[in-house]
Amino acid sequence: MDVGLKIWRFNRETGDRELREYEIDAPEEATLLDCLDIVKDKHDGSLAYRKSCRMMICGSCGMRMDGGAVLACKTRIYDVVKDGHVPTISAMGNLPIIKDLVVDMAPFWAKFRAVDPYLRPGYQEPPHGKEHLISPQRMNVIHKEALCINCGCCVSECNAMESDPRFLGPQALAKAMRFVGDPRDGHKIDRLETLNDEHGIWECTRCYFCNERCPKGVDPRDAIAKLGAESMKEGIERDMGAKHAKWFVHSAKTTGWLRETELVPKTQGVVSAIKQTKFALGLLKHGKVPPPFPPHVAEGVGESRRLYDLVQDQGVRGYDAIVQGERALAKLEHMHDEDNGRDPFAEGTLRPYLPDEKPEEIGGANEGMGSLTQADVTPGEEPTRKPEGGA
Amino acid sequence: MEATHDVLVVGAGCAGMRAAIEAHDAGADVGVISKLHPTRSHSGAAEGGINAALGNAGDDDPEKHTFDTVKGSDYLGDQDGIEILCREAPGDIYQLEHWGAFFSRRDDGKLAQRPFGAAGSPRTVFAADITGHVLIQVLYEQLVKRDITVYEEFFAWQLVENDGRCQGVIAWDLVNGGLKTFGGKTVVLCTGGQGRIYRVTTNAYACTGDGMAMALRLGVPLKDMEFMQFHPTTLYPSGVLLTEGCRGEGAYLINKDGERFMQRYAPNALELASRDVVSRSETTEIEAGRGINGSVLLDMRHLGAERIIERLPGSRELSMTFAGVDPIYDPVPVRPGAHYHMGGVDTDNDGATELTGLYAAGETACVSVHGANRLGGNSLMETITFGRRAGRAAAEWALSHTTIDVPTSAEADAARELGRMLDFSGGERPWQIRQDLGSSMLDNFGVFRYADQMAQQVDYLEELKERFDRGVVIEDKGDVFNTDLTSAIELGFCIDLARCMLQAGLARTESRGAHSRPRDYPDRDDENWMRHSISRWNGDGPELSYKEVRVTRFEPMERTY
Repeated sequence: MDVGLKIWRFNRETGDRELREYEIDAPEEATLLDCLDIVKDKHDGSLAYRKSCRMMICGSCGMRMDGGAVLACKTRIYDVVKDGHVPTISAMGNLPIIKDLVVDMAPFWAKFRAVDPYLRPGYQEPPHGKEHLISPQRMNVIHKEALCINCGCCVSECNAMESDPRFLGPQALAKAMRFVGDPRDGHKIDRLETLNDEHGIWECTRCYFCNERCPKGVDPRDAIAKLGAESMKEGIERDMGAKHAKWFVHSAKTTGWLRETELVPKTQGVVSAIKQTKFALGLLKHGKVPPPFPPHVAEGVGESRRLYDLVQDQGVRGYDAIVQGERALAKLEHMHDEDNGRDPFAEGTLRPYLPDEKPEEIGGANEGMGSLTQADVTPGEEPTRKPEGGA
Repeated sequence: MEATHDVLVVGAGCAGMRAAIEAHDAGADVGVISKLHPTRSHSGAAEGGINAALGNAGDDDPEKHTFDTVKGSDYLGDQDGIEILCREAPGDIYQLEHWGAFFSRRDDGKLAQRPFGAAGSPRTVFAADITGHVLIQVLYEQLVKRDITVYEEFFAWQLVENDGRCQGVIAWDLVNGGLKTFGGKTVVLCTGGQGRIYRVTTNAYACTGDGMAMALRLGVPLKDMEFMQFHPTTLYPSGVLLTEGCRGEGAYLINKDGERFMQRYAPNALELASRDVVSRSETTEIEAGRGINGSVLLDMRHLGAERIIERLPGSRELSMTFAGVDPIYDPVPVRPGAHYHMGGVDTDNDGATELTGLYAAGETACVSVHGANRLGGNSLMETITFGRRAGRAAAEWALSHTTIDVPTSAEADAARELGRMLDFSGGERPWQIRQDLGSSMLDNFGVFRYADQMAQQVDYLEELKERFDRGVVIEDKGDVFNTDLTSAIELGFCIDLARCMLQAGLARTESRGAHSRPRDYPDRDDENWMRHSISRWNGDGPELSYKEVRVTRFEPMERTY
């Protein structure tokens, strides 16, 4: 298969940057990483990129393809080039480039270190020096965060980090959630306090690029939401972001609308709101904000309130509420899959059998072998039903 | 000299990080040198689990674990080392749990344990199918907590011996270029295996046996180099690993007719026989024409979507990404692939090698707890238990000695050699030799071994060595991130190690564990061969000798599953 690649080359020593095009021959099953290997071996040995496991677990080969972060080893090139497309490969964003596709990860790891990325045990010692006893449901609260391979794809795409490089960013915050949600950690409140500081969780702009580009399904934005929810559950709501979120809920509950005129003083405080009076009047003049009085109540506000009460009644708060939602969604998705999925043991597929059994004795594996209540069918004869409760 | 430390750890996978943590906690000043960032290490790719007789899921104790391991090793494992491993494993697991390892749980809150090949009880502690990843993360977290110095992306190239002691490491700085010398009172090699010698392997690109090759060139003996484990379930065509945990959870191996052929080879254990047995069975099926595209099929369909998604999500993701097959709906094509090297730097039970000041742990080392065949789940445990022991021993020695003396000539010699490599032009590119090495090793020194093929491979390796020594062209002449240079050095390591493997394999006239000679020596020969092969560099090639196996309580018996 012919593959064309355009690769942004960069030389730190000279500062030269150049888009170079390569034509290579690659096997159909090749990944982007395999293609880079072919370029390096057979076309240009000076091309620099990181690689190691080539199985999506070491996190070395994060880079950008056509402007979005990918793991090179996870990207099947056939799907990309089959219509003649020539992808452009470049280094990840938001990190300084060392050479070609290799970025300096030092700022990335500095953020990682900033969240105390290790268990700080509480006072409860596990019994008899053995393991802590924790239910699977409780432990699995952090299972998505535990999948993170530190590849940097989320950081590469983070819009908030682009405007404020000091923002802790999606991977460090996902790592933080990994400990905030760990029942063995004894410093949840301290951690949340720190994470609510400037450049912490409330700096995220909720663009969801990190979720979209994470190759491992960590969903860092959701981790940030969990940290926010847990902070508010614990009464840590000093940040404007927390107040903003709180007002959203209040507004939706009372009138079913977002009341923007009230949002500003509630979020930023009265003084700041007064300072923005001129801007607000301008908006009002152009019909961009509805008059604050009398408040407009949405027609279906009853439904909005019932939803609010339903959630309140469940009494699940903080990250638990988000995790519960995630599990419910996953279950729905899974059921949806099952409805549309094909039968794994459909006609014409292989049926496993042991050599000392004859294959025809096995029957449809899907029905359960040797079912006692199933009908016996002999061609040309009426089916006979086995007696209730088995033979 | 760039820096000096009491203890230098080379490599930052599970063994390296565990050794570094232990040495630090023993009071030593530790520096870790690694060609990858620690979390990129290949330990992270281990999937299925880590063995410790906790007895959470069934009746179990270290004694049973010991017996299973001795039997699994085909009686080549050193039994005192195996006893240490199995006895200390539970404590090490609890410690990892206390550090925050994210293991899967039982409903009663204890650590979950799953069945694994050739284990008499469900003994394998796991985190879904990303156990290695979870361990790498928790160890790195502990490294960060202790603020241990890590020289990331420094490619260790040579060990420095002075005064009959190992006292340092010469490394190439990948990010900035240039040779850097690190001094250490002790050096612990934890650089992993050398699966990249083979074309079809589960191993990362980084697994090129660097530590073994560095030790070998210093005259330190390697042990049991002929024993390369072929994992039975590597994905076709890419060779990435699908965990033994799939079979532990109940997956079948079937041939093209759907027959669960393992019953004909291992009537009791079936799919959960020892890895060498399963790989031989698969190869026999494939050679008899009952395979598909040189593969057999791993069938998980009957486990159902829920179990696959909960317990084997990584395996499903790998199958879908690299083979385009969703194991919920279709069987997955798999074949044996080079996976784990039982042999390595000859060490005692504290990781000490023959050379004072030099230690080794993990896949780099050969204690030997795996003998001729490793059981699934035992290698992660070895990295932790023996990483800890080596780290402790290295720290204690370092703390009772004061001097580090690295002659400046060492770096100057290395720099001259490097200059020659970079200046060379007009020869072939290293990838050609690398490809020829990988293919020929797979063809001639794979699951089954035949005298004529081995002899042919010995000659071929000489030829590859000659091609390499004649000079290879390194196109990248720059200092910054020059992996063209380091991958050429790695190739040289691989060729040396392959020569050791072939020499030891051809000489071993029996079949034991992963070394199988079905035509000329189909049986195990305890009388002549219950002993370790020792490979020692004699100037321009390896030289063989032998060493007794340490037997404590288990006399060799016939090995069936």
